[in-house]
Amino acid sequence: MISRYTAEIGSATLTAGLGLAAVVGALEFGIGWGDAGPEPGAFPFYIGLLVVAASIGTLIQATVGRHGLQSVFLHKEEAKRVASFFLPMLAFVVVGRLLGLYVATALYLAFVMSVQGKYRLVISIASGIAAAVIFYFVLEVAFQVPLLKGPLEAALGLY
Amino acid sequence: MLKKTSWLLATTIAVTFGGVAQADWKPAKPVEFIVTSSPGGGTDNFARVVQSIIAKHKLMEQPIVVTNKGGGSGAEGFIYTKVAAGDSHKLTFGTNNAYLLPYVAKLAYKPDELTPVAAMALDEFLLWVKADAPYKDAKSYIEAVKAKPDTFKMGGSQSKDTDQTLTSLIQDATSAKFIYVPFQGGGAAGVQLAGGHIDSNTNNPNENAGQWKAGAITPLCVFSPTRLQGGVKVTATMGWSDIPTCKEAGIPIDQFQMPRTVWLPGGVPADAVAFYADLLKKVSETPEWKEYIERTSQTDRFLAGQDLKTFIASDDAKNRKVFEQEGWIAR
Amino acid sequence: MENFASLLHGFGVALTTYHVMLMMIGVLLGILVGVLPGLGAPNGVSLLLPLTFTMDPVAAIILLTSMYWGALFGGSTTSILFNIPGEPSSVATTFDGYPMARQGQATQALTLAFLSAGFGALVGVILITVLSTWVAKFALRFSSPEYFAVYFLAFASFIGLGTASPFKTIVSMGLGFAFAAVGMDTVSGGLRLTYGFNELLSGISFLIAVIGLFGIGELMLTMEEGLRFDGIRARVKIRDVFRTIATLPRYWVTLLRSAAIGCWMGITPGGPTAASFMSYGLAKRLSRRKEGFGRGEPEGVVAPETADHAAGSSAILPMLALGVPGSATAAVMMGGLMIWGLNPGPMLFVERPDFVWGLIASMYLGNIVAVLMVLATIPLFASILRIPFAIIGPVIVVVCFIGAYTVAGRPFDLWLALAFGVVGYLFKKLNYPIAPLVLAMVLGDKAEDAFRQSMIMSRGSLSIFWSNGLVTTLLLIGLALAFGPLLSSALGRLMKPKASSAVA
Repeated sequence: MISRYTAEIGSATLTAGLGLAAVVGALEFGIGWGDAGPEPGAFPFYIGLLVVAASIGTLIQATVGRHGLQSVFLHKEEAKRVASFFLPMLAFVVVGRLLGLYVATALYLAFVMSVQGKYRLVISIASGIAAAVIFYFVLEVAFQVPLLKGPLEAALGLY
Repeated sequence: MLKKTSWLLATTIAVTFGGVAQADWKPAKPVEFIVTSSPGGGTDNFARVVQSIIAKHKLMEQPIVVTNKGGGSGAEGFIYTKVAAGDSHKLTFGTNNAYLLPYVAKLAYKPDELTPVAAMALDEFLLWVKADAPYKDAKSYIEAVKAKPDTFKMGGSQSKDTDQTLTSLIQDATSAKFIYVPFQGGGAAGVQLAGGHIDSNTNNPNENAGQWKAGAITPLCVFSPTRLQGGVKVTATMGWSDIPTCKEAGIPIDQFQMPRTVWLPGGVPADAVAFYADLLKKVSETPEWKEYIERTSQTDRFLAGQDLKTFIASDDAKNRKVFEQEGWIAR
Repeated sequence: MENFASLLHGFGVALTTYHVMLMMIGVLLGILVGVLPGLGAPNGVSLLLPLTFTMDPVAAIILLTSMYWGALFGGSTTSILFNIPGEPSSVATTFDGYPMARQGQATQALTLAFLSAGFGALVGVILITVLSTWVAKFALRFSSPEYFAVYFLAFASFIGLGTASPFKTIVSMGLGFAFAAVGMDTVSGGLRLTYGFNELLSGISFLIAVIGLFGIGELMLTMEEGLRFDGIRARVKIRDVFRTIATLPRYWVTLLRSAAIGCWMGITPGGPTAASFMSYGLAKRLSRRKEGFGRGEPEGVVAPETADHAAGSSAILPMLALGVPGSATAAVMMGGLMIWGLNPGPMLFVERPDFVWGLIASMYLGNIVAVLMVLATIPLFASILRIPFAIIGPVIVVVCFIGAYTVAGRPFDLWLALAFGVVGYLFKKLNYPIAPLVLAMVLGDKAEDAFRQSMIMSRGSLSIFWSNGLVTTLLLIGLALAFGPLLSSALGRLMKPKASSAVA
């Protein structure tokens, strides 16, 4: 269980970090006002500072108003549901990188349909493969957009 | 796997036997054309014209897939090509930015990690001013700029790229001083000139032809050793061949042209390079290619093999000199 | 009058069976690419370009523009049904279109979107027909300072709208600007904020951010709530379509205002995205039902859609007359013109009247064909919502990631989309507004470039921003929009204390 307060602090720290990254990154390119206007780093630098400042503002707001933020941000039950959606999606991206997006599409759809949708395994697998094939025809054949491919396509001789 | 081994074998054989450029290599799968500009840019047009000619005359059996990788002024495409080392099915289209970009920005590729295949045309640069400006020739314009240094605005496409290099060369050759304003592309620089927001630009013929025809702007001279081809009048009184060379007009710059180049990744078999060079040579001999060249008023010049290497080396040295002098070299 | 004669001639050119067939094919293909996020209109048009090499220029441009209209419509469809903008310019449509769909009014939302879009497009084309010469001249008056003022105006009309914490609004907008700054910097010709990663070289694509923030983020939220889409099992009744058509005239003020904003933004390169945001912002400000916005207010669908399409169609004019594309898609078409052997520029109207007026006539016809066709697809699209979530949810996930990959063919973008998805989920849960981030990503680097170009022109003097009437006016309107609400609320507070203290 995560409280709203923790979530606020966490995300404000994250945005402050991103802002800081912009500030540090911008320093490399000069942040002054040359005779031809602002230098390349000036804009990201001040934007970064602004993000850091506003993040700190959110932090202070959250700390001051701490009592009002004791509500639950994420229940255990909700967290489970989000995880059950997010983890397969993460796996989809990982598998997509390794085996190509078509294989990942088929596997992901088959998995989610059978495990979460409680469809019969045969139907799930068939739908997964069908979707991948449809995508292949729409993208590669009709529009000639190459999608990320893996060893399976290479073995089948599809480019 | 098998395929890769046999390629490696082919490469080894080609290398050991000195690889007499016999074009018996052939693409075995669709060829990817990597365009180092966004859709609609000059390089994009170049690649798609080549694609359309190959398709129309059936010069290659395998289909062509065009992908635009124009991020970072084209660096994205060249890095993509570098990473694809050994893949003879990726043809990359660019300009002299292929070997000039790594000077001005810290990039993860070096020009020698790409294999030059051919240069197919030279794009010309002209000095343009607004039509109602009181300058009849290049000389009087330069005199006016000299009289009031740092007030005349020269527009161009991008920063530390061909237009700014040329501006720098003009400044060196004439000791005039401009304010250089970088725009997103040549088209924008052309419209800014027509609208009178800048005083001149160094656009390619194609980028300004429409505005010239309409009488909004006028060319003063061309940075080419000889006058342009094409006798047809563009306006009532002038055609491309009526534009004096800049040398004639009093700006001592012999030649400034931008090659349209084609590359393969590094480590590809010599046979593949020969195949594509031959293919592109055939493309450059079609009437459609001539028409493209004429319409865009570029100079038709096909370079491959040793000629190409020599050309690149000299173009590289010339530009590098400017970069060093202007302090643009990135470390 | 001369223009009308030319237009009639144009209809003669465009109205052949072959051309009408091309229009229908184009619209259908367009809807398809528009529905797939990432594969939007610019990609679609450039994919079709090779096919047109062997075609007659008039037929070719009819095919491409029809595809463009189709893609714009398809983009709105996914925004409304799934909260995934298929096109950048349909982001603003999600704000009210998606809530409407969730309340079971998908048919109404889609009908309104398509009709107002069609209206916007027609206004855009009429503008081109009547005022082409004048408009081309007007566009020539815009230089970098004016562009900056336009971008500022687009921002000002949208900012300060939400009820979110001002800190969170600033964070969101600032991050958008920072993301937009990543990659090659036009003005200095150097790389920025890439930290040595090749993946960041070409910047962070706005489309990836939208796919993640809206599509994936929304799905995560839906999952968490345990809400299956079956909550919105809308029955599709054809009668609903006609009933909604009858309500359209009610929004005439919004329609006209949005069409005007759209035309203006299409001609001066603010683009359709800026137009739709600005139009949404103004509609909300000027509406009597402000509270309804963001919760399924029909006006919030009408405003951005009208402006989007008005901008999309009027962007064709600067492309033809000046050779400056007003939108990404126009840029691709311009490449096409050159390949077909036409030189865009003021003389195109004189040299190739058959082409220009054929195109303009086809824009009238193409839009009508497109509206009829998308209206016919409404039952189909609305019934997608009735597919069980266990199937449609994962399919949307797959479509989002495939879309993310097709934007530029970069594997890294898959990770980026996932990361933006998590950010979108967190931001929504914690009441960070997402729209300012999106707007900043679209306009941020353009505004910065315009500002710095102005500074180069003026050698570092800000006085360039009040150097002529046009730029001064634009900036003043922008300032009034930005600080107007602040001032009026401050004034209100100054006036009020007595009354409220009396009560206390």
